[in-house]
Amino acid sequence: MSSRRSRSRQASGSRITDDQIIDLVSKLQQLIPELRGRRSDRVSASKVLQETCNYIRNLHRDVDGLSDRLSQLLASTDTDSDQAAIIRGLLTE
Amino acid sequence: MASFIPNLELAPDTCPEFKRRKRRITDEKLAYSHYHQRHQRIKRWRTQREQHIYSSKFIQALRRSRLTSTSSSASEEVHETADRVLASLAKGTTRWGRAILSARKMVRHKKAKVAANTRLRKPAVNREKRKTPSVQRKLKVLGRLVPGCRKLSFSNLLEETSDYIAALEMQVRAMTAITEFIAGGGRQPPADRLASNVNS
Repeated sequence: MSSRRSRSRQASGSRITDDQIIDLVSKLQQLIPELRGRRSDRVSASKVLQETCNYIRNLHRDVDGLSDRLSQLLASTDTDSDQAAIIRGLLTE
Repeated sequence: MASFIPNLELAPDTCPEFKRRKRRITDEKLAYSHYHQRHQRIKRWRTQREQHIYSSKFIQALRRSRLTSTSSSASEEVHETADRVLASLAKGTTRWGRAILSARKMVRHKKAKVAANTRLRKPAVNREKRKTPSVQRKLKVLGRLVPGCRKLSFSNLLEETSDYIAALEMQVRAMTAITEFIAGGGRQPPADRLASNVNS
């Protein structure tokens, strides 16, 4: 019974195994569009992490740009009457 | 879940057999709920329904923030609102979500700090023999990109990262759909539909 307990507990940070690292990195790899579908033994951990950072930065930039655009659209209540009506519809009840 | 809980009414509380069974059941329940949680996590942020929920909460929040609008940049306000709503949808289950919600007021300072640090290339302290210095360096960078995750262990950081990425992707999809909706004069884009009540 005690063995069951210890098995269900995760290894603490410093005792992580090589296999666990490989496993986690390949899982992460599947989330990055750039690297998805490439064989995990061909892509180094360093590359996966690099691409992950790049991808997150790109996503941040995308959200920045979208916030910009959205704030412009919301502010343009005078110009296009169609847009103004939509905005009013979305933002008022 | 009910099938995991056998009938406990018969055994009295003091019986050792009962205690052993109870411990086993708790283990099973834990194992099942971990399994269930992990499966839910894989789907999380990826359903249309979640995107709709996010979109409508985002629009509601935009509505509220416009009423109390200050002089700060409109774009930043939209971005902050988008992040705040995203974090609130995580319902406190993720570190990045909690970090966004608690650090909202310090966003500007934090952004300045992060920008400075990424330019410096300090030699990594290599406590782990299995990870090369370049991997260590990149882990550090990653920890700074994901909110609130600077000092996480390797596996926790990667778990937060994968959830954060999925959430960001949903955020982009939702904001793109909203923007196209407004800019397109009310014509609903075929793929994404908003949960709004506007009649075109």
